[in-house]
Amino acid sequence: MEFFTVRNLTMKFGGLVAVNDFDITLKKGEIVGLIGPNGAGKTTVFNMIAGYYAPTSGTIHFQGKLLNGKKANEITRSGVARTFQNIRLFTELTVVENVMIAYHCRLRSTFLGAALRLPLYRREEKQMYEGAMEFLREVELEDLSREQAGSLPYGMQRRLEIARALATGPQLLLLDEPAAGMNPNETQDLLQLILRLREKYRLTVFLIEHDMKFVMQLCERIQVLDYGTTIASGTPEEIQQNERVIEAYLGEG
Amino acid sequence: MDEHHRRNQIFSIIAVACLFLFLLSMHLYADDYQIRILNNIALFIILAVSYNLINGVTGQFSLEPNAFVAIGAYTSALLTLTPAEKQMAFIIEPIIWPLSVIHVPFFLSLIAAGVVTAFFGFLMGFPVFRVRGDYLAIVTLGFGEVVRVVANNTQTITNGPLGLKGLANYTNLWWSWGIAAFTVFYIARLVRSSYGMAMKAVKYDEAAAESIGINAFKHKMLAFTTSAFFEGIGGGLLAHLITTISPTLFTFFLTFNLLIMIVAGGLGSITGSVIAAVVITWGGEALRVVEEPIRLGFIEIPGIPGMRMVLFSLILVLVMIFARQGLMGTREFTWNGLFRKIRAWTHRTAKES
Repeated sequence: MEFFTVRNLTMKFGGLVAVNDFDITLKKGEIVGLIGPNGAGKTTVFNMIAGYYAPTSGTIHFQGKLLNGKKANEITRSGVARTFQNIRLFTELTVVENVMIAYHCRLRSTFLGAALRLPLYRREEKQMYEGAMEFLREVELEDLSREQAGSLPYGMQRRLEIARALATGPQLLLLDEPAAGMNPNETQDLLQLILRLREKYRLTVFLIEHDMKFVMQLCERIQVLDYGTTIASGTPEEIQQNERVIEAYLGEG
Repeated sequence: MDEHHRRNQIFSIIAVACLFLFLLSMHLYADDYQIRILNNIALFIILAVSYNLINGVTGQFSLEPNAFVAIGAYTSALLTLTPAEKQMAFIIEPIIWPLSVIHVPFFLSLIAAGVVTAFFGFLMGFPVFRVRGDYLAIVTLGFGEVVRVVANNTQTITNGPLGLKGLANYTNLWWSWGIAAFTVFYIARLVRSSYGMAMKAVKYDEAAAESIGINAFKHKMLAFTTSAFFEGIGGGLLAHLITTISPTLFTFFLTFNLLIMIVAGGLGSITGSVIAAVVITWGGEALRVVEEPIRLGFIEIPGIPGMRMVLFSLILVLVMIFARQGLMGTREFTWNGLFRKIRAWTHRTAKES
């Protein structure tokens, strides 16, 4: 059984074909990058996988189960978590609350049990808090757990969003431009963080990124999109040599 | 997590005891008018806090409480009237069976009011939560009108425009304040639980909430149904407080009053809703003086009915200008917060002297 397979995924917005016949297969534990010029359809691919857009045609299979047609929250609960290109934290809640909420989808307490604080809920709340602090330690934000999420600097907000996604217990993590807006030092830290998290939580990572140095260092395989169509895929070395990729990025010489 | 847990518990118990003693003294010494106002305050606390759950905490701007209160009021009233009274009241067309024979105690009728209203809220939730924002407000506003019109026209169930008269005056200080205290306690706990956090997540960013596995629709429904449950109980209390109900009682004006309360108190803050319910209900009575004729020595200004509403509108405008987030914003009262404030204040005064 394949871990994650996308076949002939197509998205049309009226007459515009945003993504055309997109195919990809991920093996468990891989880190794969999706690159391409602006407007190539990368985020659209993510939005289809994560259940935000209903694909015009094509299939998405995750661990043998068909994902299309499921709602975003169901897809997350089946083990596919994502982050957003424009960070979407709950800025008015505290840092630790942002991560605790991610446990909510796995809560066993009922609605009444939680409101009445029955013993099961109290135990679960403690687990939520401790688990959230664990993930915050992982991304080095545990000292800021009581701060308002919106008050954190940009790079930390990115890490917090990753911690929040991890707290849903995913096997496949979709990262949409995780290094955007980071300086070279922060980017290096992020790279180490992603590698460490993959080992520890046995993650498979699929990411979109414009920082080529970052992508080439981190990813084991890369797929390139241009105008919604896959123009190349392979190892970082192969992609760097590829004529069509160079053309897509730099224009014809 | 909280080192002051014990202390806070003790203070909460003391606060409840103080409220009890206050009510007891009012019960013994206050006149009917004052007791009536106190009952109204408790009633509006129940309605505002539960309305705030869907509008403020979950962020789904909806305008249906008048419908929920109406359903609760009719349910409760039809259950406490005796079969003989019902036969007397329904003069145009007789009331349908089984309503004609059922007769239950007040408390059970309140529970029934809550359950029936919650059930209607649940059914209503499916169509209305297909839309968001302004559209949600309009659709729920429509439902409010539908309920009123249905109440006006189902002669064999609601007695139509004649309404139901001569209900027993069951709602006293203990019922109204007891249920108000329970409502605040339950909803505050709910908001603090992870279900409450999930509801807030839906308010702040629905897409992000879905991305961490929160079913936005389910949590909107939970908030809406819970809100309906308490609004329904509030309706039952209202019916047995004013002892006469008719469809004209449940117009949009009721919703509008509640909306002023939760916005002025701060959308999403239970504390704010409670304070606003107290101040606005009490203030509405206190401001009656502006509608009476005023004698300024040489000239006499005749009383202008409706002047209170003008003042209220002015106050609301001022709140919107100077405190956009309402009185409390999304903050809540906590003992820890109070003690922090007191410490900071004593610290400052000690420095100054």
